[in-house]
Amino acid sequence: MKKRNLVVMLTCVLFLSVAFIPAAQAERGVTDTEIRIGQWGPQTGPAALWGAVARGTGCYFDMINAEGGIHGRKIKYFLRDDGYMPPRTKAIAKELVEDKKIFAFASGVGSATGMAVKKYLHKKKVPWVGPAAGSSHWAYPSTKYLWATYPLYCDEAAILINYAVKKMGKKRIAFFYQNDDYGKEGLYGAQLALEKLGMKLVAEVSAEPLDTDLSSHCMKLKKANPDCVLNWVLPKQGAIILGTAAKLGFKPQWMTTSTLSDTAVMYKITKGLYKDVYYTCFAEAPDSPHKLMRKYRKAQQQYAPKDRWGIFFYAGFYFVEPMVEAFKRCGRDLTVENFVKAMDSIKDFQGIGPKNSFSPNNRQGTRASFVGKCGDKGKFLRVSDWMSSGVDVNEVIKRAYNR
Amino acid sequence: MFFQLIVSGISFGSLYALVALAMVIIYKTSEVPNFGQGEMSMLSTFVAYTLLVTHGHSFAVSFIGALLFAAILGIFLEFVFLRRAKDPNILSLILITLGFQMILYGLASWKWGADQRDLPFPVSDFDVINLGPAVISYLNIATLLITLILMLLLFVFFKYTKIGVAMKATQQNAMAARINGIRTNRILSITWAMSSAIGAVAGILLAPIATLDPNLMLDPLLKGFAAAVLGGMTTLVGAALGGYMLGVIENLFGGYISLEFKSVVAFGIIVLVLCFKPSGLFAKHYVRKV
Repeated sequence: MKKRNLVVMLTCVLFLSVAFIPAAQAERGVTDTEIRIGQWGPQTGPAALWGAVARGTGCYFDMINAEGGIHGRKIKYFLRDDGYMPPRTKAIAKELVEDKKIFAFASGVGSATGMAVKKYLHKKKVPWVGPAAGSSHWAYPSTKYLWATYPLYCDEAAILINYAVKKMGKKRIAFFYQNDDYGKEGLYGAQLALEKLGMKLVAEVSAEPLDTDLSSHCMKLKKANPDCVLNWVLPKQGAIILGTAAKLGFKPQWMTTSTLSDTAVMYKITKGLYKDVYYTCFAEAPDSPHKLMRKYRKAQQQYAPKDRWGIFFYAGFYFVEPMVEAFKRCGRDLTVENFVKAMDSIKDFQGIGPKNSFSPNNRQGTRASFVGKCGDKGKFLRVSDWMSSGVDVNEVIKRAYNR
Repeated sequence: MFFQLIVSGISFGSLYALVALAMVIIYKTSEVPNFGQGEMSMLSTFVAYTLLVTHGHSFAVSFIGALLFAAILGIFLEFVFLRRAKDPNILSLILITLGFQMILYGLASWKWGADQRDLPFPVSDFDVINLGPAVISYLNIATLLITLILMLLLFVFFKYTKIGVAMKATQQNAMAARINGIRTNRILSITWAMSSAIGAVAGILLAPIATLDPNLMLDPLLKGFAAAVLGGMTTLVGAALGGYMLGVIENLFGGYISLEFKSVVAFGIIVLVLCFKPSGLFAKHYVRKV
């Protein structure tokens, strides 16, 4: 009798352990009290300017934790500096996924760095929301665990072209771009938008990211005699080309990407030449009276008082707002599969940026931006509503990468 | 357009010339190309910025302060790191200078962050003088003049002063120089101080055009190095001429042949020179006698 009892007990224990052990390990990065989230971002090195994105996300999570977290769970945030070097991003992804067991990745600055880990994250089924770059690599084609919230560079270019031609009556538009994916996607977006209007770019001039002397570039642009030039470079070269143009007496209407939309900085480093430059932007103006913007700003003053309240800092909030929304929609039952469903159930969700919608076949949440203008003393002036471009992304990809 | 390309080439070339001069001064005494040169200039430029903008000193005070800082930084690096090198062959010394580059770059990123900054300069880059078909800005003229004056001073220094001659002697044969009573260690310190100060001048002249951030000198350093190789690593005048030539060649190439390949020109030049005239266009070819 006793022996039989023992056998029954042992069987029960065995059964229970088989049944429960996998359940206890089920979700990587989610416990009763926390959700683990990681991000890489250049805190040092050539792209450290964008490091603010990752700190902004951290501040956003601090705010959410202070409000009591999401369904009783606090967010544990792991920020790692990759110095904008893809090999380091790879190491970070591996460390955070396999060692720190994070549930998901938030944002992450850079196309090259993100591309270095895209396949790995997919293989490991790690959800990843809001890569901080507007290239078409994230959502075209869409993959199961990746959602993009940054408007595409080709859309931004097309929006500016439409604005320049239709609203400002510009007739001769030239394009100055960085010779990489960022610049090229902008270039082809502009080309397509102009073709729709029956026009063509009057000049296409490229620069290498490290070029400091831009006089020959500027002269090439000037020779084409444009009345408007779109600028698809980084802030440093954006400042150099404006200075060189001013010296050469070349005064077209300048327009730039969201990458150069930090008007306070741009105005200062161009010694005021940035006044009246138009640009696209993916989130509200820094001094916007928007309810969420006021709330986020307060969070910045409280949790990251050393950081400047600039567009790249609160971009860190914007890129991952849908992620937090999906956590809320999941309730207590947070698993990767549920998270994927929750993300794909998001339709017309709007925080401080444009409306975002996702579905299993559409992982580019938004294609809208608004146009801004730099006012006196670098003031950020919003001059349009949210606009989208309708550019054929597949055609852009075909022209840029021959695929 | 042709004339403007040349004028712009010369103006930017004079910055390359300054960097090349700074490199050559050290190379002349120790045969080490200092790859930390760029970051040393960048750091000194940040010091000028801090004195000028954060502490509100006048430009003159900040400029001199930055040069002094640069000189001390040069002496410090030479004394603390290079002199302690256990096996001071040229390769290991070059590696040490690469180490400087990384340390100083990290230091500047940590202290001043990555935001672009504007270094106010008393002379504007937007006010220009018309030279017929081309324009040149006041800042370009200032850069040209300062470079020419520095070249002249260095020429006189190396030709006619005792220390200058001692420096040359140290380069040609350190052992013999020491036997003849030259304190070669002190000479090295002075070289590093001078080179670092000249680099700082280049940084301060470049920052108003290219904006100040830790990447300020990445490109100009490579160009300055190419210029020095082109003109000759052992001749001051040659290296400076190399700078002007490189500036002009680059711009003409960009203007008439290809903008995409403009930034490769400098490296193409390094390869060509090393293949056909390794000592540089303007240097006498040395053959060391045993």
